[in-house]
Amino acid sequence: MTIDTTTRIEATPSPTPYAPEPPARLEWAKHAPEVYKAMIRLDAAAKRGLDPKLYELVKIRASQINHCALCIDMHTKDALAAGESVERIVQLSAWEESRAFYTERELAALELTEAVTVLTDGFVPDEVYEKAAAHFEEAELAQLIAAIAVINAWNRFGVTCRMAPGHYRPGQHG
Amino acid sequence: MTARTGLLDREVAAAMSALSAAAKRGLGDPALAELVVIRASQLNHCAFCLDMHLTLAREYGVSEQQLDLLAAWEEAEGVFDERERAALALTEAVTVLTDGFVPDAVYEKAAAHFAPGELAHLIGLIAAINNWNRVMVSRRIPPGGYTP
Repeated sequence: MTIDTTTRIEATPSPTPYAPEPPARLEWAKHAPEVYKAMIRLDAAAKRGLDPKLYELVKIRASQINHCALCIDMHTKDALAAGESVERIVQLSAWEESRAFYTERELAALELTEAVTVLTDGFVPDEVYEKAAAHFEEAELAQLIAAIAVINAWNRFGVTCRMAPGHYRPGQHG
Repeated sequence: MTARTGLLDREVAAAMSALSAAAKRGLGDPALAELVVIRASQLNHCAFCLDMHLTLAREYGVSEQQLDLLAAWEEAEGVFDERERAALALTEAVTVLTDGFVPDAVYEKAAAHFAPGELAHLIGLIAAINNWNRVMVSRRIPPGGYTP
């Protein structure tokens, strides 16, 4: 990933200095360019047919659960640039208690996102899958699942390689 | 058991296969790759993936003892070497991301056993199988569908 690491964008000035930014553990995309290329291809394929605004919500929520700072930085900025409201982004980590901020369709997608992301705790419950299936037709649902899987993969690169957040510019990756 | 949906966009499937292939090729250790992929699939409870990769592992000559003890590799010191153990510890940390970050000790141990290029592909492989696990479990694809 070619991210400008010299300046942190939109960092709020603080009278007391912030903690230093730790260096990335590994510039994985440089060491595995074919893997990076395959991820870009997969990302492009998985988002086809999905509502971009919904997909940003899904990506932010998965990135929150997986604690991917780089991905949260990127997708909150992309969501804002796409016209998403600050309120809906802020409420996303408590969406179950702020349901009135989202459509039933978005809520079904968010519930599915959580179940598919936290796979180690158990399977994707039938009621979660069925609710999603009630709001998304079959091919669209398959795309949504693929999209949730892809952001989970990006989260794993970001967290494992400790990619620094704060440097992303909306639309940077086209 | 029947699948919830068998649908998967052709280009998505092709891109996922390309991702796995690139990661595996770059790691350059097919037997180790199968251990990693099977361990992640155990953690994510992916029946289809377990069935497929246990078959592949046997083809690559991974021993029955390693496959039997993989779920308890930490307690099976003589069965897995240090490099395998470092890869498996990393696999677990990267797979169970929701419990916390990938600990420094786990990352550093992996970095001590794998050159940066190998490590980047190992991480790619773990991410790729996590991707497959999610796509298969969510759609409830039954095991046994894989034929070598």
